[in-house]
Amino acid sequence: MSHSSCVLSTTELCFSYGGRNTVDRVNLQLQAGTLTALVGPNGAGKSTLLHLIEGRLKPSQGTINTSKPIGLMPQRAAIDWSFPITARDMVQLGTPKKGKATAAHHCEQLLERVGMAAMGSRRLNQLSGGQQQRVLLARGLMQQTDILLLDEPCSAIDPPTREHLLKVMRDQAEAGQTLLVSSHDWGSALDSYDQVVVMDGQILANGSPNTVREKLSDLTCMMGSHCCG
Amino acid sequence: MVEPDVWWLLPLTISLLIGAICPATGALLITQRRVLLANLMAHSVLPGLVIALAIGIDPSIGGLISGLLGALVAERLNRRFKGREEGAINTVLAGFTALGVLLVPLLEARVDLETILFGDLLAATTTDLLRTTISASALLAMLVWGYRDLVFVGIDPEGAAIAKRPVLLIRLICSLITALVVISAITAVGVILVIGLLCAPVLMHVERSRSLKELMLRSASTGLLLCGGGMMLAIAIDLPPGPLIGTLCLALLFSYRGNTAEQR
Repeated sequence: MSHSSCVLSTTELCFSYGGRNTVDRVNLQLQAGTLTALVGPNGAGKSTLLHLIEGRLKPSQGTINTSKPIGLMPQRAAIDWSFPITARDMVQLGTPKKGKATAAHHCEQLLERVGMAAMGSRRLNQLSGGQQQRVLLARGLMQQTDILLLDEPCSAIDPPTREHLLKVMRDQAEAGQTLLVSSHDWGSALDSYDQVVVMDGQILANGSPNTVREKLSDLTCMMGSHCCG
Repeated sequence: MVEPDVWWLLPLTISLLIGAICPATGALLITQRRVLLANLMAHSVLPGLVIALAIGIDPSIGGLISGLLGALVAERLNRRFKGREEGAINTVLAGFTALGVLLVPLLEARVDLETILFGDLLAATTTDLLRTTISASALLAMLVWGYRDLVFVGIDPEGAAIAKRPVLLIRLICSLITALVVISAITAVGVILVIGLLCAPVLMHVERSRSLKELMLRSASTGLLLCGGGMMLAIAIDLPPGPLIGTLCLALLFSYRGNTAEQR
C-alpha cells in the first residue's frame, strides 16, 4: 500500500434532503492506492456521500476536489437482474471509451479474477446473489478508473465470497487504484482496510481500524457480526 | 388470360411487417419496464388521429403528436403522484381515449372508430405500407446507432447516466419509435389490441434469451408467424384479422409452458 498522495478530498460537504442534512460537513481525504471503508447504520448518508463524490448529486454546500476519473459499483438493488444478458456482456458494459480494443481480453481476465470465468455465458438471473455481486464488481473494475466507489459490494453474500471480493479489492489497491467501500455494518473485517470512516450524517471517526476502535469504544460490541457489509 | 387475384398481398405484407416490428419494439419496452407507458401512448394517439382526419392531414402526424403529448402529460402527473404512477398513467390513458371518442361528433369527423380501435387489415393501402416501412427503418436505425446504450439503460439506468450515456435522449427516441410503431399497427390490430402484439411474443421468449438482440429476433419471428397466420386464417374463415390476432396472442400465452434458458 502506498500513501504517496491525496487523490480526493471533500471540504465541509453537505447535502440536504427534506429539510435535513443527510450529509453534514464531511471532510474526507483519500490517498492513492488505498482501500477505505465507509461504515455506518441505515440512513447514515453513505450512499448519498458516494453519489455526491461521483457527481450524480450536487452538494448543497462544500466542495469536492479531485482530478481523477471516478467509477461506481452501484448497490445490487439498482440493477434489473432479470434483464436478458450474460455475465460476460454485463461486465463488458463497463468498458471505457478508450478501452474497446482490449475489452474482450480484459473482460476475461476480470471474470477469472472474481472467480466467474466458467460462468461468463450464464444469464444474470441464473446466478446466485454472491455470483451476481462478483459480476457487478468485475463491471466496476472494467471501468479502469483511478478512483472506484463501491456501494455495499458485500451485501447479502456468504463469508467466503466476501473474503474473495475483499481480496480482489485489496489487490486493486495494491495495484494503485483508490477504493472507497460503503457498508451499513461493520465487524472484524475492518482490519482488511487501510482507513475506516464511520459516519452517521457527520463523520464520527476516521483513521486506521485501530484508531477508529480507540475513538469509538462502543464499536467493539458490534465486532464480529459482518465484514464489509 | 385471367389476371391472378393478389389483393391479399398488400395486407399480408403489412401484417408481416407489423408482426415483426411490434414484438421487437415490445422487447425494448418490456426490458425497460415501459409497457404501461406504451399502452398509454397507443390510446393517446386517438385524439390526434381524429383531429388530423377532421382537418384533412395525414393521420399519422396527428397521432404521433397526440401520442407523445399523452406520454408527456403522464410524465408530469407521475412526478405529482410519485409512487402512484400506475394510477396516474391509467387515468391519462382513459382520458385521452375518451377525448378521442368525444372529438368524433364534436368535429363531425368522418372516422370509423371501430377501424381505429380494432384495426382493419383488409382495407390497408400503400400509404399504410409506407408508414410501416418508415417505422421499421426508424427502429432498425435506432438499434444500429444505440444498441449498447439501450441495453445499459435497460439494465442499469443510473449506471448508464453515471457512465455519461445519453439516457434521456435514448428514452425520448424510444418513445418516438413506440409512437411510430403503434400508429403503423393501427391498420393491423388497432389501438386497443396493439399492446397484445407488443407483449405476448416477448413474454414467450424473455426467459430463454441471453441478450436483448436474441430476444428481439425471437419475438419478431413469433410475431411474424402470429400476424401472417392470423391474417390468412381470418381470410379463410371470414373473421376480422385484428381481433383474431389479439385472440391468438392470448392463446399463445396459454400455450406457454414457462421454459427457462438451459444453462450452457
